[in-house]
Amino acid sequence: MTVILHTLNTSPGSAGFTDCLRVIAAGDALLLMGDGVYGAIADTAAGATLQASGAEIYVLTADTAAAGVSNLIKGANHVDMDGFVALTERFPRQQAWY
Amino acid sequence: MGAVDKKSVLVVVRRSPYGSSLARASLDVALAAAAFEQPLRLLFMGDGVLQLLAKQESEAIGVKNIGRLLTSLPLYDIERVYVDAAAATRYGIDLSNAPVTTQALDGPGIHQLMTDCDHVLGF
Amino acid sequence: MLCTNAFDQEGFLRKLSDWEPQVAEQIARAEGLELTCAHWEILHLLRDYYREYDASPAMRPLVKYCALQLGADKGRSIYLMSLFPGSPAKLGSKIAGLPKPDNCL
Repeated sequence: MTVILHTLNTSPGSAGFTDCLRVIAAGDALLLMGDGVYGAIADTAAGATLQASGAEIYVLTADTAAAGVSNLIKGANHVDMDGFVALTERFPRQQAWY
Repeated sequence: MGAVDKKSVLVVVRRSPYGSSLARASLDVALAAAAFEQPLRLLFMGDGVLQLLAKQESEAIGVKNIGRLLTSLPLYDIERVYVDAAAATRYGIDLSNAPVTTQALDGPGIHQLMTDCDHVLGF
Repeated sequence: MLCTNAFDQEGFLRKLSDWEPQVAEQIARAEGLELTCAHWEILHLLRDYYREYDASPAMRPLVKYCALQLGADKGRSIYLMSLFPGSPAKLGSKIAGLPKPDNCL
């Protein structure tokens, strides 16, 4: 069942990250963009916590490239802008954490 | 929720009252929606719980008083107001003295609240 | 009489403290209204609302506030419309010397 699409564009040290983690659950999707992509770096506490949430994790490809983390990310699906749009069509409601 | 119901809206308020203009902006959205009789719920989350501190005196910095504005929510028929329990605890906020009566929710409770609403507006 | 630059482009008083009963009369005249006791009752109520909530009311809370303070007979939009035709929250706030309500179209 698809429930909530979360977008997060702040880093793991931010209030946005903390608040997002408080809510996110299995059945949700989380799209990391901007500084949010640092949350998906493998073998970090943040990455492990996101994986443990049970939500589908997505990262915006261009933002991971810009940040230099493309090769450091594990367990996330890469999407471009069209993929982002497709996600917004799949989920009836969206919460932006920023 | 029946098909004839109006779309229900949840406004998520996550900003401290005087650190930026976002706190005020999110409340203005809530009040505007309520003035047009949209069923509206309000959630204070994260730093947003700081808006619930009693005895704000923002006149000292020449800014409108968010605490006093919150006391007018019942006049807008905004009765369903929720608060992130962990954030309130983290800041030691006494919810019994808050400008508005709230219902405390844990993480799964917040997720359920979002799921119950047709639209989620996050600030 | 206050001069024109005491008011903004829409005729709302710029400074809350500039307001006094004669100013209300002046604004009302410009709006083509003669103020009666019934008007004054609502104007004072609007000033009270602003003092209490630090905001000018939209129509819905104004009606409810009137009902709470003055009773159900006066807490009706038709009653407020009869005193302040068109948009009572906006026109009433203007004459009461308050800022334009945020949520009023």
